[in-house]
Amino acid sequence: MKLWQIHVKTGLEIFTMENLPKNHRIIFLWFIRYLCIIFCVLFLAFWSNTSSAEIIKIGEINPLSGRLAKNGIEIHQGIEVAVAEANEAGGVNGKQLRLISRDDQSQPDVAISRAEELCSWEKVAALTGGYVDSLVGPIAAVAKKYQIPYVASASLQKELVQHENLYFFRVSRLQGFVEPLCGILAEHFKPQHLAILHAATPGSTELARDLEHCFKIHGLKVQLIEKFRPGMPDFTPLIAKLAAMKIDVIVSGGFTPDHILLVRQLKENKVSPKAYIGPFGIAYESFIRTMGKDANYLYSTCAWHPGITEPGTEATSKAFVQKFHQMFNRQPNTTNMHGYTSARALIAAMRTVLHNGQPLTGDNIRIALTKLDLILPMEHLAFEKNGDPLHYRHMVVQIQKERLVVVYPSDRAAAQPIYPTPSWDQR
Amino acid sequence: MVSGISLGSFYTLIALGFALIFGVTRNFNLAHGELLVLAGYVAYWLWNVYALPFVFTFPVAILTLLLVCLGLQRLFARLSEPLELNSIVLSFGVAIVIQNSMLFLFSGNYRLIRIPSLNQGIRFHSFYMSYGQLTLLLLSLIIIFLLYIIMYRTYLGKALRATIQNKEAAALAGINVAVMGKLSFCIGAVLIGLAGPLYGCIHYLYPSTGHEATLLAITITIFAGVGRLSGIILAGWIFGLAESFTVIFFGASWREMVAAVLLLTLLTFKPHGILGEKL
Repeated sequence: MKLWQIHVKTGLEIFTMENLPKNHRIIFLWFIRYLCIIFCVLFLAFWSNTSSAEIIKIGEINPLSGRLAKNGIEIHQGIEVAVAEANEAGGVNGKQLRLISRDDQSQPDVAISRAEELCSWEKVAALTGGYVDSLVGPIAAVAKKYQIPYVASASLQKELVQHENLYFFRVSRLQGFVEPLCGILAEHFKPQHLAILHAATPGSTELARDLEHCFKIHGLKVQLIEKFRPGMPDFTPLIAKLAAMKIDVIVSGGFTPDHILLVRQLKENKVSPKAYIGPFGIAYESFIRTMGKDANYLYSTCAWHPGITEPGTEATSKAFVQKFHQMFNRQPNTTNMHGYTSARALIAAMRTVLHNGQPLTGDNIRIALTKLDLILPMEHLAFEKNGDPLHYRHMVVQIQKERLVVVYPSDRAAAQPIYPTPSWDQR
Repeated sequence: MVSGISLGSFYTLIALGFALIFGVTRNFNLAHGELLVLAGYVAYWLWNVYALPFVFTFPVAILTLLLVCLGLQRLFARLSEPLELNSIVLSFGVAIVIQNSMLFLFSGNYRLIRIPSLNQGIRFHSFYMSYGQLTLLLLSLIIIFLLYIIMYRTYLGKALRATIQNKEAAALAGINVAVMGKLSFCIGAVLIGLAGPLYGCIHYLYPSTGHEATLLAITITIFAGVGRLSGIILAGWIFGLAESFTVIFFGASWREMVAAVLLLTLLTFKPHGILGEKL
């Protein structure tokens, strides 16, 4: 009997497939064939999932393409180093780690769908990665929904830790930038005319607000606060405004491309502030290479850099630099270290859970994260109740002879800040 | 004022290639910005790796863009009606491919072509203009002048203008509109090849910055009026000046808002562009 001769009972009548027109038979056979293929694929997928019981899956979502690709790739590389280190050391309690990476294309809606995929389909034990709050926020919400811990690699916005999301942790916070910046300006520079420029992003806007508040407490008056869209094509009118106001110190909360353009146009227009401070996007070798000698005397902040590490972690830092160089053939930077730190936190928490003989559930990992106390090259990592890191603090660095030098706080300083900065003509 | 005019000239250079290709072929090239950045990367690569003097990077960038644009033209030529819509879809895909190829080839680092002499300038009392700003202004004026000569003083220009105004009528009059399409892509490639290296010098290079340039080119083209190349420089300057004055008097956060209001106002009262009547 051929397949289309099967008798099908519809409830109203009995008919055979043979009675159907030929094209209907063909459609029916195609349908059966594809159904079989789909069934096989699903079976294989299910089988591969169940056969990987000795593997711990860590989900990672980063902007690997789009406008934030550079930073996303850097975070991803740091995470890869942490996972590779753990696996080479025998895994977590004998279980190997598998990193499942997804690209959010620098778009929040894509970040949500990738997080949903990792949590519901891939069934990852925990999530990490993430760059900028507009992408971290949506991932945190999905993590909360699935009760899967998420350790964000780069996030600053205060609002994200005010949602009582027990599953959200991060290795950075805004206060880590505000304290050293406020300190160096109040203690050393004491400018008469101060301007804060900030990008129209949540982190940068909050930084500007907190800095203004802190400056006010220390008796420093901010003459100008100006918001701009990241990627603004021309700063010349703004520079004219700054020059007219005789601004001494510019704190610019823009990102790498904004600094490239702003500093170049400051030079082009012969405007020389006593100090130019860019908390985000300056303390990078790539920035110094791009700007060349024009990068000299610029100030920035930095949580970690090869050679600038938390006291007592020199060996770990050196091992990270070597491993990173071995894997990617270049020097790591502070963004790489943020990725590494977040992954290390997760791995340590998982190790604790398994060491205690508990199942690796979201809640057990979360509880282990809340009790974490880890000395890492970037920071002494322990989390507050809301998921913020307790000890995350930047240092103020200045580019001197095309090298990053710590100039504040004094207990970590390797050199004195050169203040005021020589004018463009004197360089 | 100087910064506004210089910015406007920069906008003009970015928009010219797009306006010409769109005017003649009705192909809405969303990959325009990516092509511009690609030309910039070619110049950066030659300048950085082979230490080629900046001026000599232009011919190579133009040649590269000619090849790429001719390939692109062949793709666009296969499209059926509605051309505008289909070209948007096609060029969107092309933009993604170019963007990711640049990310792969040149990495995600920001690149800048540093020409120290462009940071010098001329000062006359309170008036100061850097050589970079002067270059932008002069180059945009020269290009517009040359384009004007081609478009209004040659038979080729007449044929191109006829194609812009009415493709079918131009074909009936014996003009080979397919060749005109190819030519517009070639001229467009030359314009992008000229603007790209300057973009890498005045702005910075990053694989995904292209879409900003595309949006800018679209805005300026609409503002000038489709097919009106002489209006491009006027539109560029108006936008540049408006943005500069907005930043000085109202603040940088109002920049985009003023530009949008300007465009909407123009579209309401002069829907055919700044230079007036329908072509």
